[in-house]
Amino acid sequence: MMQQPPLTIPQSIDVQRAEKHIAPNSTPIYVLNCPEYEVVRLSFVFHAGTLTQQHPFTASATANMLAEGTQNLSAQQIAEELDYYGSYFDINIDRDYTYITFCSLSKFFEPTAKIIEEIILRPTFPTAELEIYRAKRKQQLAIERRKVETLAREHFAKAIFGDTHPYGISYPESEYDTLCREHLLQHYTANYTAQHCIVVCSGNITAQVLNHITSIVGALPSVQVEDNVTLSPFSSSRLRRIQHDGAVQSSIRMGRLLFPRTHPDFIPMQVLAMVLGGYFGSRLMQNLRERNGFTYGVFSAMVNFQHTGYLAIATQVGCEVTDQALQEIAREIELLRQEAIPAEELELVKNIMAGEMMRILDGPFGIADVTTENILCGFDNSHIQQNLERIRQTSSEELLTLAQRYLCPDDMTTVVVGEFNG
Amino acid sequence: MIKYQHTTLANGLEVVANRDSSSRMAAINILYKVGARNENPHRTGLAHLFEHLMFRGTHLVPDFDTPVQMACGENNAFTNNDYTDFYITLPKDNIETALWLESDRMTGLNLSAQACEIEKRVVIEEFRQRYLNQPYGDVSMLMREMAYTTHPYRWATIGLKPEHIAEASLEEIHSFYRNFYHPSNAILSVSGDIAPEQVFELAHKWFGSIADTPYTANPIPREPVQTEPRRMEVEREVPATTIVIAFHMGNRLSHDFFLGDLTSDLLAGGDSARLYEHLIKNKQLFTSVNAYISGDVDEGLFTFTAQLLPTTSEQAAEEALWEEIGLLQSGNISDYELEKVKNKFEANTLFGELNVMNKAMNLGYYSMIGDLPLINREVEIYRSITRSEVADFAQRTFRKDNSSTLIYRAR
Repeated sequence: MMQQPPLTIPQSIDVQRAEKHIAPNSTPIYVLNCPEYEVVRLSFVFHAGTLTQQHPFTASATANMLAEGTQNLSAQQIAEELDYYGSYFDINIDRDYTYITFCSLSKFFEPTAKIIEEIILRPTFPTAELEIYRAKRKQQLAIERRKVETLAREHFAKAIFGDTHPYGISYPESEYDTLCREHLLQHYTANYTAQHCIVVCSGNITAQVLNHITSIVGALPSVQVEDNVTLSPFSSSRLRRIQHDGAVQSSIRMGRLLFPRTHPDFIPMQVLAMVLGGYFGSRLMQNLRERNGFTYGVFSAMVNFQHTGYLAIATQVGCEVTDQALQEIAREIELLRQEAIPAEELELVKNIMAGEMMRILDGPFGIADVTTENILCGFDNSHIQQNLERIRQTSSEELLTLAQRYLCPDDMTTVVVGEFNG
Repeated sequence: MIKYQHTTLANGLEVVANRDSSSRMAAINILYKVGARNENPHRTGLAHLFEHLMFRGTHLVPDFDTPVQMACGENNAFTNNDYTDFYITLPKDNIETALWLESDRMTGLNLSAQACEIEKRVVIEEFRQRYLNQPYGDVSMLMREMAYTTHPYRWATIGLKPEHIAEASLEEIHSFYRNFYHPSNAILSVSGDIAPEQVFELAHKWFGSIADTPYTANPIPREPVQTEPRRMEVEREVPATTIVIAFHMGNRLSHDFFLGDLTSDLLAGGDSARLYEHLIKNKQLFTSVNAYISGDVDEGLFTFTAQLLPTTSEQAAEEALWEEIGLLQSGNISDYELEKVKNKFEANTLFGELNVMNKAMNLGYYSMIGDLPLINREVEIYRSITRSEVADFAQRTFRKDNSSTLIYRAR
């Protein structure tokens, strides 16, 4: 048999810096010009996540209804036009931000931009469309909540942040019935403003394309607001078991509150989460899947919010092996606190993380996503190289210290959703 | 437009290469021409179980993932009814690591009793997680069992039941490996900043010495023509009733495939498509509605699904779907609408060509269906489709005699 070929480990990742422009209303526009791709991708990020909503489901409803009717176009006209040019958009909402991303072929950017302008600047949130939206989402949420993993995710957020904390809260489906047009208008007026927005564009951004983007962005209203959301303190609980009749698998979430991406220990904790459950051959995968066959998959990762972050482990296991699985997870965490990670394993994890960064950064869209994330954390793209170096510097000794500091069993929150009576 | 070069090694391995000078990454795809349609009805789920076993290590490389990850790479695989696909993306300088690993596991797999037992448990958990513990998880299984009486598309790749996986013997697993995992049953495709000639040289270096072990598989039974409507009604603990109607249609290389695909886009490709506009927005009958083709190599299915609002009766829902079908059959399609779905198809084709992984995977797929040049011809085929062709397709396909209806009733 032939020998294993020698390896080349990439030591640097250069990513172009975004070129920063400022629209007349002071909204920043970041440009990543990749003229070799005949596409344009344009993202608006508004500081308008669920944290900013005054009424349940308003943030997501506002974003999802932007294209459901505007001053000059009906929902159907918008859908028709976008489909006609093969253009599309995606909406993503988290606790902190709302992301609206448009993609079009370069040759169809001009007609697409006319629609973008309507969607971003002139939505009307028609009542008839809102009614359809409410009925649809209410039913979808009811279906989602038939899944143990959905329930575990919701209960875990409540358990680590507090039941009524804006980062933890979830609402019954019936709250959709109370949602009305005024909530959306209020949310839109307060949050879709120049001061709450950044724009990132990538692909073939010619001067003409940039002009067009600037004119749309520049028309966002300038509203001076005090931007000091004071977040109530978090309150975590230790253990929650939620009965779900008829489940054949339990969904497990375990973890603890830590800190946001800007914290100096965030990157080494990412490395630690990777060792524990961040890749296919991770310790938890080896244990729960490969050695015991308890699960199809188990994962752990650091999750970043604007004001905090947490470590989470997630898996689904057969109901009958739930307690064994919990014990094995606890055992793997304890091992990280007792013994330094072998050099070879740590080297492997570092290479995986470098490869992951390269893969995400392959292609203009991925570069734009990473750039956006950096900007929201207050970094520029030189941060990518610094991250890589920080990962490379992380030692087994440092990880042992961090595991002892941050992974104490008494600080962990565990949520299990499953059938406990079967 | 994807440029490529193609060759076949002496042992029968097909090799396809695409050069992409803009990427630092390379994608290596290896497709084995075996899927759930090659299984026998008493031992289903074997092709998919075997895909899992391919990661269980060889005599030479006991752990498949570690060398990939050491090379900053990522790998995964999937199985469907027609084929099994394995792919690795890594920095292009490490491409030989990928070729070394793939050539090694084509012959040297370590299929121990213990490895098989554990992997069976993992796959059974996958069965539970994806099909048994999900609302609507068994819809596609019920539909397959109704629409097919004979062809192995009657079962999903996960298999007919967990017992089939649990009871697979070591001997069955070994013969599956021997029969289906060898050079002339495989296609290697590569995309990255590497000259095609060099890809061919490397393919020869790593795979050239593997002896082929040809095997004549049993012919796949043909599905008899359906002659009367079929119907199944079940009750489940779900929040909303769902109706599914499926029709038999042409195979991957027939013109009906393209007509079916385009028709499904007319009906359900995007928010401006007919079903969404008519049935969700205007008539407000459903919370979601869809039309899609199965995309199989052999004769597949054209499927409609609709999820009912609590206020919608089953009868009204079915009638509304048949009314939409009637509109298509009468040729009620505008040139604008046809142009729209063609534009959308073209844009999506281009968006799909932005990374090396999609390209390597697609090259393998088109090779497998036996028409590699089709990869660059499809946009043109869609462009040529006319209104009357669509109407004719709808008349021939959407007949009651050719339909299977599933009422999945909320309890």
